[in-house]
Amino acid sequence: MTEDKDTKKDEQEDKPIGARFEEDQPYVMPGIRRFQFFTNVNDRALTKNLNRAAMLGIASMLAIDVGKAVVNKNPQTIYCYECRACYGTQDKCPVGIAFQAELVVSARVADYNRFLRNGGLKCIRCGNCQSFCVQYLNLPQIFGTMQLQTMEALREGKIPKSMVKKAFEKGLINQAFIDEVAEFLEMP
Amino acid sequence: MELLGYITLAIFIVTMVLTLFRKINLPVQTVLVLVSLVNLLIGFLFRIASDGFTSAILLPNEMIGGIILHPITALLGGLFLAGALEATKGFDALKVIIAKLQKSPIGLAGTLVIIINLPVIASLPCGRIIAAALLPLLFSFGWEGGMGLLTKTQLVVLIGAFTRNAMGSCGPSPIGGVGQIGEGFLGAFFPTASDGILRSPQAFSLMIGTAITALFLKIISQKLYPNDVTLRDKPTTIGFEEEKKITKIKAPFRGYLSLIIFVASLLIAIFQPFGKMPVQTVLVAGGILIILFCRASIQDLMGGIILLPVTAMASGFLAAGVLAATGGFDALGVILKSLSAIQILGVAGMLAIFVQMQTILPLSCSRILTAALVPVLYLFGPAKFNLITWPQLAIVMAAYMINATTSCGPSPLGGGGTMGEGQMRAETGFIKGAYTFASMAIMAPIAAIYMKFMNFTVFSPENPEFSQNLLVLALFTLVIIGISGGMMGIVSRSIGKDVAKNWNLQLIYFLISGGIAGAVLALAVYEIKILQIAQGFIGGVIAALLIGLMVPKTLAAVRRAA
Repeated sequence: MTEDKDTKKDEQEDKPIGARFEEDQPYVMPGIRRFQFFTNVNDRALTKNLNRAAMLGIASMLAIDVGKAVVNKNPQTIYCYECRACYGTQDKCPVGIAFQAELVVSARVADYNRFLRNGGLKCIRCGNCQSFCVQYLNLPQIFGTMQLQTMEALREGKIPKSMVKKAFEKGLINQAFIDEVAEFLEMP
Repeated sequence: MELLGYITLAIFIVTMVLTLFRKINLPVQTVLVLVSLVNLLIGFLFRIASDGFTSAILLPNEMIGGIILHPITALLGGLFLAGALEATKGFDALKVIIAKLQKSPIGLAGTLVIIINLPVIASLPCGRIIAAALLPLLFSFGWEGGMGLLTKTQLVVLIGAFTRNAMGSCGPSPIGGVGQIGEGFLGAFFPTASDGILRSPQAFSLMIGTAITALFLKIISQKLYPNDVTLRDKPTTIGFEEEKKITKIKAPFRGYLSLIIFVASLLIAIFQPFGKMPVQTVLVAGGILIILFCRASIQDLMGGIILLPVTAMASGFLAAGVLAATGGFDALGVILKSLSAIQILGVAGMLAIFVQMQTILPLSCSRILTAALVPVLYLFGPAKFNLITWPQLAIVMAAYMINATTSCGPSPLGGGGTMGEGQMRAETGFIKGAYTFASMAIMAPIAAIYMKFMNFTVFSPENPEFSQNLLVLALFTLVIIGISGGMMGIVSRSIGKDVAKNWNLQLIYFLISGGIAGAVLALAVYEIKILQIAQGFIGGVIAALLIGLMVPKTLAAVRRAA
């Protein structure tokens, strides 16, 4: 009898103040009871699960970031410092691309908008920018692979016409792709 | 699109400020992920309305593009190696070496100065790598840690100064440090900028800033927050034999071996003697060698990994990625540029605020805002707005970059400084005053002056007066340190028991120092032009006000309330 009293006392002491322990409450999600969502905010159960979901989200995004580079056949892009040393190419870029690092990042995650905006389809893969890369990444290869993927996405209708049109009007498409792009835009 | 940018930027800034002031009591990662989701959703709806569904569906890709993988993987690799060193008693070996060094001619003081500046010597891409490895060692110098070499006050100063140095060492790092982002942009005008145009200004101002931080912690912070460091001091009753036992340290052979591998890995990562290879590869290879030769387990290595900075960094990049995709940073650029149209500020005043942006809003990793703000600064130059010339841009870049790289130090949002606060058993915010003051009043102006009078001699051949410039740099540095140090002494002596009065006193000190920092920056950029110097002073005061207001009045009260 005394032991039972002691056990109950211990259990009561273990319970944090303000927390609810309604075992009969229905589950809303695995491991989460209804009151954790709708009633007692003080026990911060919702927050805990929110934090777990956020951590899961961050881990997933990191995995996607790395995974996309591999799937897109541009794994080298993972090693980019994003230091922008390649911007030093300047006049040595025959087609006047100013922000090469942007192209590397866009190639890593298949960001067609950033690639087109920064003149990715204008690049002629001369390799002049490569000597500026502190990591010696094969920039022409990276840009070439992304160009092919962009054209593929264009054919599949994954890129909106307005995006391509802007790049076309700014002269950001080189001779190798201009006919196909004009056809895509239904231009005479 | 412009309206969308203002909306997403407002959501981001308001949420971050509320989190900084603990009005949103959630971990920073959660807040950043939620902000990213909300902004992504808003951006998605705007894109559907303006460009259609095909455009909107590309938005997540643009968001993920904001994640900069290099610092995350470098940090993980470094922590992996630090875990191996810890498990194989490498720190004990280091303690033995330090115990021997203090008996050498440089003594204990000289040894500690070297240790404090080890991060800037090693210059790794993230200061947390070396901080995670060496902070437990510094803790062991105290009575609680076992060596009993330093008192509580000395240990607070040592840990604080070391952490300050570490959380800024990514600036001069040649192996993927934040400073390289600025060097990349300056490469558009200075052909050899990527050889390290920002490295010396960053390293020099960081060393001076570290010393000022130590002084601030010693004579101001400990008076402002007297009961908020729970480190144990030297016991009042301790026998000679007991004291002798405490200071006697031994290390196993594998400890020395793992220490050698650790140091060798850092040297190989920095100097790349076997050809170019990613720093992560070197660090992980070092960890594997420790597993093989020093009998560490993979579990030991994994134990060294601290997840918070990694996740905080990644979530920050996600939030920045959404802002970039939705035009939030373009909106910020427009707002900053429009500041320069205000007569009382002008370009000089706007730049004085701009260089302090990341001290005003310190996030968990300097790269989050740097990746967004450096392009804005670049556009202020001849590339677009023509507000400043290329050399002026380089001066502002030097000042901006050192403040940016040190911004994770005082950040309560999972910044590296919290590692130091943890080791010194202090409340979050204890170091904030010292860290933000050193960044704002010391590091930014010194970096600007260094760039103006020293680095142009090296990187611009038309400025060959080396010895004369060296003298000017020395004089300016002495003046900046003298004024700040002198005022610090006055503030320290005036601190009493009235918390509000003490804080107001500190705020006034911040305002005057911030004004001087802004004026020095304007002087470096525009030389002797009274209007610009006055505008720089006003800009500096505004920045200092925002920074000073964020320094907590009390710490213990926050703990009791929680």
